[in-house]
Amino acid sequence: MSRQLASFKLHLRAVATGLKYLFLPNRITVYYPEEYIELPEGYRGLIRYYPDRCIQCGLCAMICPASAMKMYRTKTDRKGRPGINYQRCIFCGFCVDICPQNALETTKVHDVAYKSLEEMILPPEKFSQEPISPAVAGGARKLKPVFDEERGLRHERV
Amino acid sequence: MSTLSEQGGVIYSRLIAREGDESTYELFIGPQHPASGHMRFIVRLEGDVIVSVDPDIGYVHRTMEKLAEGREVIKSIPLLERMTIIDSHNVTLGLVRAIEKLLDVEPPPRARYLRTLLSEINRIASHLYGMGIAGIMLNHSTMFMWAFGDREVWLQLAEELTGARLTHTYSIPGGVRRDLPQGFADKAEKAVRYMERRLKDYMAVFFENPQVRARYEGVGVLKKSEASRLGIVGPNLRASGIKYDARLAEDYAAYSELEFEVPTHEEGDAMARMLVRIEEIKQSMNIIRQILRKIPDGSILADKYVRLLPPPLREQVAKTGRVKFPGIFATLKLPEGDAVSRVEMGHGEIFYHVTGNGSTKPYRLRVVTPSFRNVILFRYLAPGHRFMDFPAIYGSLDYFPPEADR
Ligand code: SF4
Ligand code: SF4
Repeated sequence: MSRQLASFKLHLRAVATGLKYLFLPNRITVYYPEEYIELPEGYRGLIRYYPDRCIQCGLCAMICPASAMKMYRTKTDRKGRPGINYQRCIFCGFCVDICPQNALETTKVHDVAYKSLEEMILPPEKFSQEPISPAVAGGARKLKPVFDEERGLRHERV
Repeated sequence: MSTLSEQGGVIYSRLIAREGDESTYELFIGPQHPASGHMRFIVRLEGDVIVSVDPDIGYVHRTMEKLAEGREVIKSIPLLERMTIIDSHNVTLGLVRAIEKLLDVEPPPRARYLRTLLSEINRIASHLYGMGIAGIMLNHSTMFMWAFGDREVWLQLAEELTGARLTHTYSIPGGVRRDLPQGFADKAEKAVRYMERRLKDYMAVFFENPQVRARYEGVGVLKKSEASRLGIVGPNLRASGIKYDARLAEDYAAYSELEFEVPTHEEGDAMARMLVRIEEIKQSMNIIRQILRKIPDGSILADKYVRLLPPPLREQVAKTGRVKFPGIFATLKLPEGDAVSRVEMGHGEIFYHVTGNGSTKPYRLRVVTPSFRNVILFRYLAPGHRFMDFPAIYGSLDYFPPEADR
């Protein structure tokens, strides 16, 4: 009997614990794209290229593990300049880290959804433009994740 | 005889023998992601008692080893990370160690501590993932949602440290890529305190819930002698009473300078395997606290490579805490020779063997993953149990097909 009683108590405790969170939910859902989580400093998102700093050494294309970055060579410019293919890029940031000129930088934009596959291939000219987050451009509320002893993660309005 | 039932296109079964009152059925589970990944189980049943289970692996085989042999060695880090994306630092740390042994370079102390830090964050996230999956296998969706939600806390920490949520690519030959960001220790402490609180909830709602205990206790017992005979690794081994952990056996990262226990259980049943994981999470949090207290100052990349950077970049690295690679990283030459290394992942020990032949690509790269070593348990643990025990056993093994198949 006492075993059954102990078991009953444990059943009750399990249900009570579940009920507690039914009334005080611990949700971390964010309604993208109406809301947008601001990514932390140093996040490895879309990459921006600064052509004026580039010495056209080609190291970035050489180290790219996914063959996402390649040098676009022309008849007049035999050394070429890097362009990126976001169909392939895995955002490892190796290209950024090896660039001796800081001509490549990671940004905090990481909305990698495109309407067509062609849009995902950026030749050097397009690669040197500032990447834009469609969510932020559309007026999404920015949220910042905050660590919380009681809730784990909270998302606060910035 | 003939196909008898077909449910939702996932489970097929056929009657393979009928003798007297006994019928033996063959049941195919999978291969479309039956639980933790793509694989198939061929289960033979007499009534609803399991007679045999054949794990049919290889559905997510991606020729990882061969792919790694065809490219410059540094590119194998982000590649092999994808074997166990949920534990991506632990899975590549062994590879980086093996490469370092070949290149004869040692990471500075601060880098070793940072490696340990991310490895333990990964271990917690990996265990939470496994627990969540185990929960949903018992139809306990609360455990599933909670574990996956709480895993997000640790992923956020890893993201702030490395710049990526899962594909950290953090360790590189000679060190790590990023230093601790501002305010990290404070955030980690909050995460630890939160998790301590949550583990109590987990106990109440799942691990001490009589419903769950009834499903796990005495189910899928792995005897100590069997565990060592079959070469089982990780929490599955330790739940059978064998105290083996690559963190103790192999000198890597900063484990020799930190104090922690390796939890073991004697029972060897599904319950013990789950409890070992809970206790390991506690140990990992203890290690994280120690690291943040004791982490030494200094460089995070070996001098040998820092010296190759032009002076302005060297200053930049020191100021920003973000490593720049020397140009030779694109074409690191692996000297002739062999190197092996072991690292303890969340799932168990991973083993690497890298052979260099003086070129920029590894001549041979061999990896033995913990899931590959543990998959044999399906064959040994399930027979004799009722079919409803199969998901309970599966969940307790924390088996991850993409890791086993490579
Ligand atoms: S982030 Fe990695 S995958 Fe993407 S272009 Fe750079 S090196 Fe290539
Ligand atoms: S590594 Fe930097 S400097 Fe060299 S080509 Fe690429 S972007 Fe230009």
